[in-house]
Amino acid sequence: MAEQFLLGLSVVLQPHVLMYAFFGVLLGQVIGVLPGVGAITAISLLLPVTFYLDPTSSVILLAGIYYGSQYGGAIASILLNLPGTPSSVVTCLEGYPLAQSGRAGFALLVTAISSFIGSMFGVLIVVLAAIPMAALALKFGAPEYTMLVALGLVAASLISSGSPIRAFSMALVGIALGMVGSDANTGQYRFVATDALADGISLVSLAMGLFGVSEIIRNASNVETRKIDIKLSYKDLLPTRAELRSMVSPVGRGASIGAFFGALPGTGAAIAAFMAYALERRISRTPKEFGKGHLPGLCAPESANNAAAQTSFIPTLTLGIPGDAVMALIIGALILNGIIPGPRLIVDEPQLFWGVIASFFVGNIILLIINIPLIGLWVRLLSIPYHRLYPAIVLLICVGVYSHRSSVTDVVLTLVFGLLGYVMKWFRFEPAPVLLGFVLGPMLEENFRRTMLLYSGDFTVFVTRPISATLVFCGVALLVFTFVSAIVSRRKTLKSLKGHSGPFSV
Amino acid sequence: MLKKLMLALPVVAMMSGAALGADDYPDRSIRFIIGFGAGGNADTVARIVAEPMSKDLGQPVVVESKPGAGGNVASDFVSKSDPDGYTIQLMVGGHAVSAALYKSQPFDPLHDFTFISTIGQFPFFVAAQAGAFESIEDLIAKAKAAPGTLKIGHSGVGSTQHLTGELMDLKTGADFIHVPYKGGAAAATALLGGEVDVVIDTGTVMTPQEAAGSFDILAVSSAVRWPDKPDVPTLSETVSPDFDIVSWTGVGMPAGVPAEVADKLRASLHAAMADPDVAARIAKLGAKPSPSSGEEMRAMVERQIGLWKTVVDAAGIQKR
Repeated sequence: MAEQFLLGLSVVLQPHVLMYAFFGVLLGQVIGVLPGVGAITAISLLLPVTFYLDPTSSVILLAGIYYGSQYGGAIASILLNLPGTPSSVVTCLEGYPLAQSGRAGFALLVTAISSFIGSMFGVLIVVLAAIPMAALALKFGAPEYTMLVALGLVAASLISSGSPIRAFSMALVGIALGMVGSDANTGQYRFVATDALADGISLVSLAMGLFGVSEIIRNASNVETRKIDIKLSYKDLLPTRAELRSMVSPVGRGASIGAFFGALPGTGAAIAAFMAYALERRISRTPKEFGKGHLPGLCAPESANNAAAQTSFIPTLTLGIPGDAVMALIIGALILNGIIPGPRLIVDEPQLFWGVIASFFVGNIILLIINIPLIGLWVRLLSIPYHRLYPAIVLLICVGVYSHRSSVTDVVLTLVFGLLGYVMKWFRFEPAPVLLGFVLGPMLEENFRRTMLLYSGDFTVFVTRPISATLVFCGVALLVFTFVSAIVSRRKTLKSLKGHSGPFSV
Repeated sequence: MLKKLMLALPVVAMMSGAALGADDYPDRSIRFIIGFGAGGNADTVARIVAEPMSKDLGQPVVVESKPGAGGNVASDFVSKSDPDGYTIQLMVGGHAVSAALYKSQPFDPLHDFTFISTIGQFPFFVAAQAGAFESIEDLIAKAKAAPGTLKIGHSGVGSTQHLTGELMDLKTGADFIHVPYKGGAAAATALLGGEVDVVIDTGTVMTPQEAAGSFDILAVSSAVRWPDKPDVPTLSETVSPDFDIVSWTGVGMPAGVPAEVADKLRASLHAAMADPDVAARIAKLGAKPSPSSGEEMRAMVERQIGLWKTVVDAAGIQKR
């Protein structure tokens, strides 16, 4: 294994290949910062360029854009509550409050470090376990995906800081929005008011609207000017020893969750980040701290989405099967170059296979090096008066959303979702469960109905297949645990109230 | 005065460009519309021919993606564009399928278009896990012996792959369960994992898995054996006489393009495809480079629309 990795390194460290790796991650970083402009747009724009490059450089360049955008996505989330990529939505939840309290630089540093560790863990998994991970992924059929998503939805009802009922109702709104478009099992159109909705609502416009635009409306409607005390000295930037210690386990858990979800075709970085966040909340001793800039809630999802970005190359490189649209583009680039990726890629094109993997390693180091000096620059963005900043942001959002699939309807919808998000905030409903419902709902439906079709309506498959049964058990355990702990804590509160005398005794 | 007139000349020339006919066509860039996302088969084919055509015509041929509703968004856009030769479309086999599948379309799939030429033709392959079936005859016999048990994974409801599977049911009397996935890659994953018994898809999806020893390719959907895979029997010579499904990519324009303009573009496309390097790239996509006349392409589209209408009705697929 070490020998092949060295072969890969020798490919990447050639000056021209290294240059493409550098351009890739740099461009990815920039694309990630721009709200709404995703890696897909950038990669499809650059696809023609790969005509003129050798296949290895092409893939290294395009892959760099993808995982580089995961780093960049966090920046706008933290500074402006604008998720640069769908997978950095969760980063808003803790990162933005931190920035509001003047610790934007600190939050950026912490995410850069978490991202780096997550990515490196992901690369390690790709190097050591690409083949067994791919084999595991193949064991996931429709019943397993159904239960995995169901487990995710159960966990999701726990990620809101408000009441579970409110979170659950918001998840239902998300599921309903996810229904728009053509039904995967019959091809029938559902809630397709105009032809532009035939392919459904875009995740980018929903995320941009609910998070970014609603925040802009809120800020713009505040008469008093926002003033954040910006701390930029090294002392304020660096985490304390206690903070560092509190990061270790969440980063590790996030990386493991991310590496697992990334390797499953059809899931990916966004879901991994949500899951990592939900897990941190679930096991935290101080769940009340979440939503106010809690460190574990920031590091775990960042580590997860970056790990997932790396391991999502596993099905692509080892099986020739793209797990998502970005991977399909990268396979497209290989085909343009006359290489049809498949299980034989690792044997037939070892230079390409190991070169690309070694480029992940090198690319992430480059990303860390370019990110840390940039923190000061990013934070100064906040010193621009908001009334000067937000017209530019709105423009960027519109361009970004439009670029996604050249649809004006998407732009209009983004603004509508912005208003909706503003109203929701007014009534203390949170946007995160809407997004999770939106992503997971259609997956649940598609896989559930596929299971029923495959197993002639037999419900027992969910408990007779080992992986599926394990997932069912986890979901049920999580539900029971939540109810029991809710009852116990209520009893405790009642008891402590009884202990007091006075007008409030029960 | 004269100076002003001289300045205005190029503007006038540009405005009357379409009316002047083929002599100065093209004098600006040509939009090459595809109805699917970047990186897919359609996009790749468009880019392969756009590059040499740009050189040949002396104006850039710019590939532009207008994805949505299975290519209908792009077809609608092109059918309503000016027939001046500056908007062309990469059409795919789905153009004929959509005509059968949609209750109504905002354009006429035949009369609203000028057909230029097909680019590539490609068949579908029937594959199973390695060693699962001895032959296509074995598969169909087992499917008939146990109706409603064997499963075919396909790339989505209403895809050409799906309809090819339904046609196989109709013609052989077998009764497969047709399971939709999101794209051919997801269906191939399901076959690798053993969730379905059979997948029907293109050579690009199947060949790498066959080379790795994971899949057996049992049959091909074209009427005659495919040159790339001479050992693979056709469905028509084994289990279903006259079975002939070949999908395609091609170039179309809005109806009413002047014949000289259409001819010039066709000549440029054919010249591009005559380049062995371009032909080799098209072949890598599992397609046979097949330049044609406009009439030939139109006749093929008309024939396929008729065939798919029969299949959609007979298989009871809900129209959308």
